[in-house]
Amino acid sequence: MTKKEKFKLVEAFIIENREAHYRLAYSYVKNKETALDIVQDSIVKALNSIDKLDEITYLKTWFYRIIVNTAIDFIRKHQRISLMEDEILDFYLPNSVDQITDFDLQEAIDQLPPTYKTLIILRFFEDLKIDEIAEVTGLNVNTTKTRLYRALKILRIEVGEDFL
Amino acid sequence: MKKLKQLKRNYEEIDIPTELEDVVHASIRQAKRKKRPMIQYWMLSVAAAASLFIGSINLSPQMAQAMMNIPVLGSIVEVLTVHRITVTEDDYHADLNVPEIQGLKNEELQSALNEQYLEENKALFQQFKHEMAEIKAQGSGHFGVNTIYEVKTDTPQIFSIARYEILTSASSSTTLKYDTIDKEREVLITLPSLFKDDRYIEVISSYIAKEMKRQMDLDQTTSYFLNEDFTDDFKQIKPDQNFYITANHKLVISFDQYEVAPGYMGVVKFEIPSELLTDLLVNDFYIH
Repeated sequence: MTKKEKFKLVEAFIIENREAHYRLAYSYVKNKETALDIVQDSIVKALNSIDKLDEITYLKTWFYRIIVNTAIDFIRKHQRISLMEDEILDFYLPNSVDQITDFDLQEAIDQLPPTYKTLIILRFFEDLKIDEIAEVTGLNVNTTKTRLYRALKILRIEVGEDFL
Repeated sequence: MKKLKQLKRNYEEIDIPTELEDVVHASIRQAKRKKRPMIQYWMLSVAAAASLFIGSINLSPQMAQAMMNIPVLGSIVEVLTVHRITVTEDDYHADLNVPEIQGLKNEELQSALNEQYLEENKALFQQFKHEMAEIKAQGSGHFGVNTIYEVKTDTPQIFSIARYEILTSASSSTTLKYDTIDKEREVLITLPSLFKDDRYIEVISSYIAKEMKRQMDLDQTTSYFLNEDFTDDFKQIKPDQNFYITANHKLVISFDQYEVAPGYMGVVKFEIPSELLTDLLVNDFYIH
């Protein structure tokens, strides 16, 4: 495959899967503008470092990795801002019991360290397989499993025994 | 697991903003643009008091207008807008302001600079037309091009002009270029011409790398390309890196948006402490 063909392929992939990429970015930053910025930065990074994508079969996990890292990087650098937004959110959220329960789990997930949060999102929301998650995160398969288990355990502690 | 399924449904129902499609196409164009050699057309080996800033997010048209109206008083060298190209369609706009330097006795230098400015704007207008056609072929979108200029330094000795080029689609990008002229000798100053040999590249680069790290440690929101996974780290400046000289005789090194930092950092500049350069400079005429 020539570089040009590879570029075309990645370009088509980016256009086709834009909604999934946006959701993934949004689930970290919970803000439309920021999520769009992350999508944009990820696309530019990806297309400019296309040489680093060795095999096209890894395209999906490679691109997810760029989004996840860009999003985590953003959160790390804007931690104060994102914490404050959570507090405001807390204040205005509806009081219905059901929603609160869902929200509690959602909040518990949001409060996980970003690396653990990534595992939950990719495994349960994006339906990635463990070995795909390992490719995204750069961890080996065993570590991925252990950490996913630990993340679930943290969540169970926070949300109650009925969770698992 | 039931609750996780509900959360998954919530995740799948995350609203997709209408701008997403535009952002994606604009980002792809931006990546392609970065690759195109045509962006190099202004990297002529000229250097000195003129600069081109392309695409500053913080720069409103009003501010740009105001900057252009600042008269260059008390100097023989003047810069005027001689050509202005504007296109206004609903989704596409171009506003190109071509500067022209007047008053230099060295007419060869003067016309070389003025021709360069005109050529840059012409090339940009071609690019604008090309991208407009490309976007129209894809369906919908919007695109804007804006060039303005600013006199950075105007002392009896030195004249620096900055030229900004602002490309706007879903996002915007900024490029800049400076020209610095020695008004007394009527020559264009290039970065290499300031120094005895190329040791300056190493000295300035290592200062900038240290300064990047210092700023990042100090402020969490500051970010440069150092130790990142997916972008090449900042290693060293180009021999003809963008620069200008301030009225206080300091050397300022400038990087385009995306060149050494994520987009949100915009155009970044570093003032180099003159004492680092003393031994490397041909003389302390411009910088001290």
